[in-house]
Amino acid sequence: MTIFFTNKIGKSLLILLLLIVTGCSPKEEQKMSDKEVVLEWANMTLFITRYTPSNSPTFASRAFGYTGLTMYESVVPGFTDYNTMNGQLLGLEKLPTIDDTKEYDWVLALNAGQSEILKNIYVQTSEENIQKIDSLEQVIYDQFQKEVEKETVQRSVDFGKAVANAIFEWSKTDGGHRGYLFNFDKTMVHPDRPGAWKPPLFAQSFSHHPLHPHWGENRTFASKNKEVEDPKMIPYDTTPGSPYYKQFENVYLKDLELTQLEKEAAIWWGDDPDVSFTPPGHSYYFAALAVEGHDISLIESTQVFAQVGMAVADAFINCWKWKYQFFTERPNTFVPKYIDEEWESFWPDPPFPSFPSGHAIQAAAAATVLEHNFGKEFTFTDRAHEGRERDELKETDFVIRTFHSFWEAAQETADSRFYGGIHTELDNEVGLEKGKVIAKNIYNLEWRNPHEQ
Amino acid sequence: MNNNTKTFTNYLVISIFFFGWVSHAQQFTDVTEDSGINHQYEVYEGTFGGGVTVFDFNNDGFEDLYITSGIKDDKLYLNNGDGTFKNVFEGSGLEVTSKYVTQGVVSADVNRDGFRDLFITTITTTDGKNIIPRAKNLLFLNNGDSTFKDVTNEYRLEDLNSFSTGPSFGDIDADGYPDLFVGNYFQEFTGKLGIIKDATIVSANQTARSYLLKNNEGNSFKNVYDDYGLGHKGFGFGGVFTDFDNDQDQDLLVNQDFGYKAVPNFLYQNEYPNEHFEDASKQTEMDLKINAMGAAVGDFNGDGWMDYYITNIKFNMLMENQGNGRPFEDKAKELGTYNLAISWGANFADFDHDQDLDLFVSNGDLNPNCTPMGNFYFDNNYNTYTEKGRELGINDYGIGRGSVIFDMDNDGDMDLLVVNQKPILNYPIASTTRLFRNDIATGNWLKVALKGVQAESNGIGSRVTVISKGKRLIREIDGGGSSHLSQNSVIAHFGLGANTKVDSVIVDWTGGNTQVLTNVETNQQLQIIEIAQPKNNQTYVWYLLGVLILIISGIYLYRKK
Repeated sequence: MTIFFTNKIGKSLLILLLLIVTGCSPKEEQKMSDKEVVLEWANMTLFITRYTPSNSPTFASRAFGYTGLTMYESVVPGFTDYNTMNGQLLGLEKLPTIDDTKEYDWVLALNAGQSEILKNIYVQTSEENIQKIDSLEQVIYDQFQKEVEKETVQRSVDFGKAVANAIFEWSKTDGGHRGYLFNFDKTMVHPDRPGAWKPPLFAQSFSHHPLHPHWGENRTFASKNKEVEDPKMIPYDTTPGSPYYKQFENVYLKDLELTQLEKEAAIWWGDDPDVSFTPPGHSYYFAALAVEGHDISLIESTQVFAQVGMAVADAFINCWKWKYQFFTERPNTFVPKYIDEEWESFWPDPPFPSFPSGHAIQAAAAATVLEHNFGKEFTFTDRAHEGRERDELKETDFVIRTFHSFWEAAQETADSRFYGGIHTELDNEVGLEKGKVIAKNIYNLEWRNPHEQ
Repeated sequence: MNNNTKTFTNYLVISIFFFGWVSHAQQFTDVTEDSGINHQYEVYEGTFGGGVTVFDFNNDGFEDLYITSGIKDDKLYLNNGDGTFKNVFEGSGLEVTSKYVTQGVVSADVNRDGFRDLFITTITTTDGKNIIPRAKNLLFLNNGDSTFKDVTNEYRLEDLNSFSTGPSFGDIDADGYPDLFVGNYFQEFTGKLGIIKDATIVSANQTARSYLLKNNEGNSFKNVYDDYGLGHKGFGFGGVFTDFDNDQDQDLLVNQDFGYKAVPNFLYQNEYPNEHFEDASKQTEMDLKINAMGAAVGDFNGDGWMDYYITNIKFNMLMENQGNGRPFEDKAKELGTYNLAISWGANFADFDHDQDLDLFVSNGDLNPNCTPMGNFYFDNNYNTYTEKGRELGINDYGIGRGSVIFDMDNDGDMDLLVVNQKPILNYPIASTTRLFRNDIATGNWLKVALKGVQAESNGIGSRVTVISKGKRLIREIDGGGSSHLSQNSVIAHFGLGANTKVDSVIVDWTGGNTQVLTNVETNQQLQIIEIAQPKNNQTYVWYLLGVLILIISGIYLYRKK
């Protein structure tokens, strides 16, 4: 339980537990707002992501895509100037429709849908976590069914669940279903050419096989994200002074003069899937901060989570496609070989090739979506790892961060990988640039109906 | 460059490494082929295994070997006494191990019948039926006629389903019955797994609690991990029982993989006679946050305190004991035991008989993608080390794992066996287990074999001290878990240079008994049988005090000379 209270998700769940307890008393309770319900579910999604074992940034990004989309689709029929994604996303054609003559409570639909999709996508989570999901659903249900006709309640819940189940069925064909069972392809033989990725020695994971080598073949949410132009990698060259050499030399030189602030950035954005809600979780968390910080409606809130979730999911698919297409080495391979035998990065290597940076691409995708929804300016404080124990080995604390725009946060995400010594600047630049393209293909789907109103 | 040319070039380079120094006079001699040892460890998946134990299973005075082979049949090598070994695995009663992916092995006299028994760790079965790789570890009693009996279930070990790595025998409660510490890597289960859901599979790769198995008077084992206050969860590579604080009980050094991410290494202080281990990791600064693979135990600087060489990826650590109450200090860089590789086994021994501890380190890459890396030999010269692996012909480029020291030919010096893994992908040389005969030792020597009466039968955990011309040399009897997944000879070995006599040999038996022999001839193997003392007796305390005064004045006199 100690870890439980160390972050925002923990706190909101604590509030929920209290709600459950006080729910038994006759005292009048404060009813949640629609937006609060949305945020509770976003936080629950982050909690499940964090506390489900063997999770990966790839699988997590996909899960955010489906939970976000389900959130949106479970309410969108109630808002005529918004469009369903049904028919817009490849193979998504069988979403249930509403009976126009009947009434629905959209919060109840959303509530049922979120519970259903989370338990399906995260079928591998623990019994304890499933109980947490169920109790959140129950608390919200109890509050919102009170003033609603019994039949409407049932109709809304049924609709939410039907949407979730249709989306889940569709998700099974994207190539990532139960992907946690196939984290590492042990039969795979890596390319063995100069500059090729080598299993890390200073590693985040015990695996010497790279993570999800086939993830790049997965279906993207936006069809256009299947056709993003390949980035350019500079040619392998071990000659000192060559562009390739310089990329790695810069990582090395940066590491020699890391400031405390840079070290703090490096560990903050680590977002190791074993101990955190993963990098795409960090983006989903920013979406929650943005929704919380703006006066927006239920449908607008759900649209933000759908777009951010789908954008980070597509970002990871593209990123993984390129990672295995280029299969490039990490600084930890090049630097000891050609620059300094004893060198080791500040942060341990994740188990997959380098180019381009997954952190950068997904952070850029999320920031681009958020800017599109809320504009460039937004001041927010990132408390994702607040209260985490100091890293004694690296003599660095987890220090909360304040940003004045979404992009500023994305830029620091990318830079942090360079400070950590696990990505070159080129990996990050390409990641940021491609993330923007991917995000555009998401927000340019027909979310709003131009003919209405 | 295509693959073939590259392989050829590698081969050429390595050939030069190997043969370039053949003309050198004094070397280790690779006698693998002549000795009849033909072994290669085959991994199940990834990089785990294997190990070897040195044990004279037929009590003929020549030390035999048990070597784990992973998915293949293990080997039981009988030492013929003429420099050759014979695999007598078939018909030994150990054939059931072929159903398991074996990892490490240790030996002790579990039931005190005078014969060495075997404990073998496993990670899964070889039938491919386990969705989650786990299996019980295996215990075999020596029948006394060169055959063994599987007593795993009888000793209540069948419910402990684990992904186990390094085992170690030690006598934590000094009752003469050897207890076990078993390192577990991935989450362990008790009993049979029911219906396996996705949730079970994803939680299986989490960190594990290791086992501390207490021997109940030679009849059964009980896991007392929590009762003794251990309780940590991590990626365990096992541990080694050793007396780091010189209070004559067995403390526990625990090696953990991914110490920078999961839990770090531990140093547990035995609070015998209380049944408890106190976590002394932080105060001793032995909470190393590294990929700790194994440890060599030895007092390399001759100050009377045990030091530890911990193997790692790239940066091995030479942890120098500063005495009670002071943190250990890493001297690897300063003293020269610092070459970079991926290291597993390590052994301190006085290979050249010049009265100090040299250090052998077994290196090997991580399957399946392997680059050859030679083993290290660090020659100790006035407490600074020089790497001489190539010069001494012992820098084998196989994928090294466990390594052990023993006197294969009873000529008084320490020979070496290194377990090598089979490369999964292309590899420029044959990576097979190697036996190196020591042809570098020139000085005098003494070997001491212990026979415990109240202590463990082979003296496991006891300490032998030799005082010779003012020099004090100490050795612990290895219960296994030193090196990597392996166990060295239980016969203490001392190199003595030009000394033809030693002034005294002192045995500090686990449990508190002490014996002293004086004026001992060199170049022989002594056997010292424990003289049982009534426990908790006043006269015993006075006797011990008397002996201590004798030793202290002895040392004092010699230092004055």
